[in-house]
Amino acid sequence: MNAERTGDTANLDPTARLALGELLLSMADDEFVIGFSDSEWTGIAPLLEEDVAMSSLAQDEIGHAKALYELLAGLLDDGHDADAIAYDREPPDYRHCRLLDHPRGDWADTIARRFLYDTADAVRLEAVASASWAPLAELVGKIRREERYHVMHVGAWLERLALAGGEARVRLEDALERLAPDAATVFAPLRDEAALVAGGILAAPMNDLEARWRTMIGPTFERLRLTPPPPATEPERGRLDHTAAFEWLHSEFTSVRRLDPAATW
Amino acid sequence: MSDQGAAGPGETGTLEPWEVFRREKEGDPMRHGGSVMAPDAQLAIHYARELYGRRQESVALWVVRRADVHELEDPDLLQPPLDRSFKKPGGHVMRDKLAAARERSGQPKPKAREG
Repeated sequence: MNAERTGDTANLDPTARLALGELLLSMADDEFVIGFSDSEWTGIAPLLEEDVAMSSLAQDEIGHAKALYELLAGLLDDGHDADAIAYDREPPDYRHCRLLDHPRGDWADTIARRFLYDTADAVRLEAVASASWAPLAELVGKIRREERYHVMHVGAWLERLALAGGEARVRLEDALERLAPDAATVFAPLRDEAALVAGGILAAPMNDLEARWRTMIGPTFERLRLTPPPPATEPERGRLDHTAAFEWLHSEFTSVRRLDPAATW
Repeated sequence: MSDQGAAGPGETGTLEPWEVFRREKEGDPMRHGGSVMAPDAQLAIHYARELYGRRQESVALWVVRRADVHELEDPDLLQPPLDRSFKKPGGHVMRDKLAAARERSGQPKPKAREG
């Protein structure tokens, strides 16, 4: 049952409030990490126009992360602003999913990762689009309008690599073999997510969302004769235990901030 | 932009130029914005959107394969050597000739009608 939609969190019980914080952090960290990963293509994408497109997508994701971190900062109200949440944690404290822990890899890795993530993210966004907490519902309404284009863009590329045959097809299959086993970690269960469902913030448990996602991407994988993602191993640890590849990325994206954390930009 | 794009993946994968026209706001005519390189219509539309639309500077785009543009660049047809200014929408420019005629006849220029 949905509570009345409001920007006030006072009507959330403490468990739901904590769970909302976990949800915001996981969504923001996902967008932040994939945004930074994709920004690594700036200057070296396969063609100039794609370079601009991928850089623009990366900026969109970091923009979404910023807005989500700001919501979280407002919710926690503990003196940490969005930048502090984004940059001042150690690698083990990030809550992005294991799918985004892989190194950038080649173009096929990037397309495979983006396709798996963007389609899963679309299902997750739909599930919070009617959240009883108005600030989240409003923000997600805007984010979904941009993410629609992201799914179109990466879908066009997945199709090209899959149908091109030869090296492109082989590289795509290799990339999916590496990444697809971790794809479902986007839906790794959140602590106390039952409270989010009961509180009208999340439309359904993550398990149900994963099933919706599989139904959504199934026809694409079948049409392109690709193997659909297997279930994730240890889903309960799907947002923990980050890799050396992420530690490297973390050292990159915190490098300027670490020079002078108190600097005003 | 249609979710399907105007065409599926290109058959050859070869990059070719596409011309992009943009409408800046409702009611404006389409104006040429520039061009993008792309292997097919679907990616051409994506790239046109990124280069000519992502900053909310356009309300509509037309994306046309440059090879589909019929070009006319013949000086005999476009810049004929004789004076054909009477074919312009405004016709001959009469102002200077009228002023010279009035001077010769000594008549002042009539006042503009009131109202």
